[in-house]
Amino acid sequence: MNPRKVLQVASREFLSTAATKAFVFGVLILPAMMSVLIFVLPRVMTATPPAVRGRVLVIDPTGRLVPSLAEALSPEAFIERSRELKEKIRKATEDRLPAPLIDQAERQGAFEQALGTVPQLVVEPLPPGEDVEHAKRALREKEDDEPRVLAVVQIDPDAVEPAGDGTYGAYALFLRKGVDDRITEQIERAVRDAIVDERVAGRGLDADELRVLMRVRGARTVTITETGERETNEILKAMLPMAFFMLLWIPVITGGQYLMTTTIEEKSSRVVEVLLSAVSSLELMTGKILGQMAVGLLLLAIYGGLGVAGLAAFAMLGLVDLSLLFYLAVFFVITYFVIAALMGAIGAAVTDLREAQALLGPVMIVLMIPLMLWFWIMREPDSMFAVVASFIPPVNMFVMMLRMTSSAPPPTWQVWLSILVGVLAVFGALWAAAKVFRIGLLLHGKPPTFRTLIRWIRMA
Amino acid sequence: MERAIRMRGVRKTFGSKVALDGLELEVPQGAVWGLIGPNGAGKTTALRIVMAILFPDDGEVEVLGRASALEARDRIGYLPEERGVYRKLKVRTFLRHIGILKGMSRRGLDEKIEGWLERVDLGDVGRKKLEELSKGMQQKVQFIATVQHEPDLLILDEPFSGLDPVNMRLLRELIDEQHARGATVLFSTHVMQQAEELCEHVVMIDEGRKVLDDSVPEIRRQFDLRTILYEPMHDDPGEARLAALPMIQRVRRHQERWELHLAEGADPADAMRALVDLAPPALLEVHRPSLEDVFVEIVGQRRSAEERERLRRELAGAAVDGRDS
Repeated sequence: MNPRKVLQVASREFLSTAATKAFVFGVLILPAMMSVLIFVLPRVMTATPPAVRGRVLVIDPTGRLVPSLAEALSPEAFIERSRELKEKIRKATEDRLPAPLIDQAERQGAFEQALGTVPQLVVEPLPPGEDVEHAKRALREKEDDEPRVLAVVQIDPDAVEPAGDGTYGAYALFLRKGVDDRITEQIERAVRDAIVDERVAGRGLDADELRVLMRVRGARTVTITETGERETNEILKAMLPMAFFMLLWIPVITGGQYLMTTTIEEKSSRVVEVLLSAVSSLELMTGKILGQMAVGLLLLAIYGGLGVAGLAAFAMLGLVDLSLLFYLAVFFVITYFVIAALMGAIGAAVTDLREAQALLGPVMIVLMIPLMLWFWIMREPDSMFAVVASFIPPVNMFVMMLRMTSSAPPPTWQVWLSILVGVLAVFGALWAAAKVFRIGLLLHGKPPTFRTLIRWIRMA
Repeated sequence: MERAIRMRGVRKTFGSKVALDGLELEVPQGAVWGLIGPNGAGKTTALRIVMAILFPDDGEVEVLGRASALEARDRIGYLPEERGVYRKLKVRTFLRHIGILKGMSRRGLDEKIEGWLERVDLGDVGRKKLEELSKGMQQKVQFIATVQHEPDLLILDEPFSGLDPVNMRLLRELIDEQHARGATVLFSTHVMQQAEELCEHVVMIDEGRKVLDDSVPEIRRQFDLRTILYEPMHDDPGEARLAALPMIQRVRRHQERWELHLAEGADPADAMRALVDLAPPALLEVHRPSLEDVFVEIVGQRRSAEERERLRRELAGAAVDGRDS
């Protein structure tokens, strides 16, 4: 094998894939979409808060709820609750999310977004005997002059004091079409609180005191490791296996797909025979696989780098065991070689993408298995299925990655055994692919079946 | 003399089909040889085996003194029948890529490529993508890719098929130029006229077997079919009177023209004098056999009359298609 030629093929392969607008767009679109989801979308949504002004009509046969309802739905109460909630969210997330992230969320108005803007509601009591049908009519009317009637609350007579059989009544809420659900929630909550407060007061108890008694602050979770204690971050911990899985999956599949496509292009454009007059089929295959591996590594570096940079920015690098990054790289190389050999062989065997689909189908189904079962593997990383699957190429590295990032990592010997199996699979796959390459590249016409491919492998 | 190519007992099968059946071939260095035969005769397979793109089931191949073309790839220029390019690549990048794969040094490569592009009147397309070029221009780029590394051996598979007249002349000039430089040229064609015009020596293959291997003048001498073409000026003497001449063995009408096959031992000069006496001719000539005639004569023995006719049509039709001017 001539290394200079292999490198030339590899660099051509890399440039023809990575130095295209389509690739740059494709690579950037994923992080771009994610940042749109995380950062931009909330901003756009909060940019146009609903300016709610309106009246809430209350039919209260108990005669005790209107003052507290009016107070609870006053703008001042909304602001106060918003401030309290903000504090509460900060307290609750402090344990789970790092402070910089909360500050950022606050700056971006995530809390206001969660709460909505302060509504201007006026509570209007109706006479206890008022016909509810008459009140409801106000909800249907198109009143051009503000404030409109937004809701009608009808309290049951036995909502505060129980009826003869000891059961409490409730209330009915009638809404105008199109009322913001956050407003609805606030009204419901105000009515509920008002009823509960009145009931509690009826028993001679203090509602505020009761609320304090019923609250337990969020607990701090710490994982004890051999080397020390590590703050356990439940949210990010749950995301970690998926992140690593995707870091392995996306570059491998992308590199493999590109390899197949460029091989088919070279074959169908007949440029391959010119190439084969200058390099051997093995040199060509090696160069192409290495070139696309560089593409995969570039993707891995971009996405993985973004992830690590993100963690570092929030001082959470401790969350990730750095040896995982090493294993990620090793797993990538092994899985990539196996998948690339398969996809390259398919590309060499067929004449166009349509024919490739038929052969690609079973390969993709096999590769989808860890993706479809990742949830179960995560939940039971030591189950028979997970252990066996982590020794079966080509999915072994994916499954192993999930297990290693799970709450119950496998023993080291299993990891290295899986790597050994992977390396053997690499040699097997490259050997078989080289044979298919040698025969398939110059054959045109009827697309081969899997049986034909196996015959080529045995024959060449 | 040194051999550029030597094939011994090369056999190649694809499934049940025998593509080459014990092919023997020896091409001396510096020669221009033609590999001729109808479509499907095994020409492309033979050339691919020489290039070590395909491997024989049996037999030996020696190229430029090496056991395989794999060891001499950079000294060979190959123009396959199906000539492909990277459509999305710029002309210069494509030539650079192929040049480096052919072992050319990166230093000075761009200047060489520029020189070649100027040489074939494509000086201004170096930065264009290949897909923006006309088919004729792409063909020129393919020629450059084949010869830019100044190979010792040029292997051209049906090089003239699909070329426009201008490119056909250009390719012929390139071949002559490479030959003058000392390169050995082996090309295949199913158009006999091209082989006649270009080659010193032809090898005919049919159904994977070599049926003829000789120099062009020698073939002409051996296969002198002793035919006289005759076209009367005014009155046609008719088949009966022509066949009655003692030196004429067989008579065949071909439109306005008669093809008269001479009897064994007859002198063509006597026959022509007799024809002038019979009826003044508008045309009278001794027909020189073309390679096409020779080929049909040789391989026709193993074919039915119907197959012979089909073969003649193929070679003649192709000859008309491939005629360059």
